[in-house]
Amino acid sequence: MESTPSVVQQQRMEVDQLRREATMKRIPVSQAVEDIKRYAMDHMMQDHLIVGFASEKANPFREKTWSCEVL
Amino acid sequence: MASSAGAHGGGDNANANTTGTTGGGVQQTEEPTIEDLQRDIEHLKRKIAEERAKLCDKTTAQVSDALEPIQGLNIKVRRSLKGHNAKVLCLDWCSDKRHLVSSSQDGKLIVWDAFTTNKEHAVTMPTTWVMACAYGPSGNVVACGGLDNKVTVYPLTLDEDVATKKKTVGTHTSYMSCCLFPGSDNQVLTGSGDATCALWDVESGQVLQSFHGHSADVMSVDLAPGPNPNTFVSGSCDKMAFVWDMRTGNYVQYFEGHESDINAVKFHPSGDAIGTGSDDASCRLFDLRADREVAKYTKESILFGVNAIDFSTSGRILFAGYNDYAVNMWDTLKTHRIAMLYGHENRVSSLKCSPDGTAIATGSWDYSLKIWA
Repeated sequence: MESTPSVVQQQRMEVDQLRREATMKRIPVSQAVEDIKRYAMDHMMQDHLIVGFASEKANPFREKTWSCEVL
Repeated sequence: MASSAGAHGGGDNANANTTGTTGGGVQQTEEPTIEDLQRDIEHLKRKIAEERAKLCDKTTAQVSDALEPIQGLNIKVRRSLKGHNAKVLCLDWCSDKRHLVSSSQDGKLIVWDAFTTNKEHAVTMPTTWVMACAYGPSGNVVACGGLDNKVTVYPLTLDEDVATKKKTVGTHTSYMSCCLFPGSDNQVLTGSGDATCALWDVESGQVLQSFHGHSADVMSVDLAPGPNPNTFVSGSCDKMAFVWDMRTGNYVQYFEGHESDINAVKFHPSGDAIGTGSDDASCRLFDLRADREVAKYTKESILFGVNAIDFSTSGRILFAGYNDYAVNMWDTLKTHRIAMLYGHENRVSSLKCSPDGTAIATGSWDYSLKIWA
């Protein structure tokens, strides 16, 4: 790896970074979770591990019945 | 103190507060000492923790109270991939949703056709403990590495032995624990036991950016989905997760709360949150905009560490692989366990949902991989 910054340099960077973070705008947990919930609701019908498949044939990992594909 | 405040534009509350702690008089030309800086760091961290604490108006479970519970799951083992002769340490899906790459403790890298369970390539690395492997977005290249401290890229061609085309792209000063291709076959992002992450140019082998901030081994990295391709998250044995800006090399946020090593990090598919898995036997969800933990997934009966996690495509389920051989499925919103997947006979070391979310693949210290759907 290339040269690593000195301890003082690293700490300065951290102070600058923490200052930026200290002033960031934050949203309440309830609002954050509402958004995550909405995302899940909007995408649930395409989430095959939850809703499965309309027919088992649509599942690319259904149990192997490949015999005729060897032709 | 004064110089860094000036460089940053100054004048905000945080600056005013921290200047206060250094006592006023000595701030024109004096360089801050390590002790001064350490004091500032601690003060700022305390302030951030206080701000975060104010945001906890409701719990995730309360917000999700009216949601229908998940029912009627029918996930079972559909394929077993056998061929490794030692512990499987890592796996990754190809973008074609059909092929997988896996790496093992004995130095082997195997490319599988997960539909047929056939092995398409097998490469022996000149090292043991190949802890990380990843597919390039084109599906024509894989990267791997581990105790050799290196990240090596193999182009996958059918006409000749892939080992002859290998390219050593980068070298860390300690083991390489994780890697991924951030959006192109031309770059690899790595995390290492040397506590850094690095972005490498595959062609030239140059470091494009290095990421300093963790104070212990980096164990896992993940790229933000969707509109933030320059953001990634790292998890470390320092119990912290950092969110980084790939262009500047600076981190933009950190998350703490875990009581032991973080072994796995993964972006929620919305891009608004990250999941983590830790040796403290818990998984957690941290929201980027709330800048704090919003959910914790634990049970008293679960005592073993988490090695790998992934979300289902809607983000509703968090899959987590544990040292007690089980995969637990968590409802991320109701924050309870909905099912367990049993099948492996040793630690579950790696776990990933296929790109279209139709299946999950797990790798284990029992030498095998399994596909669940």
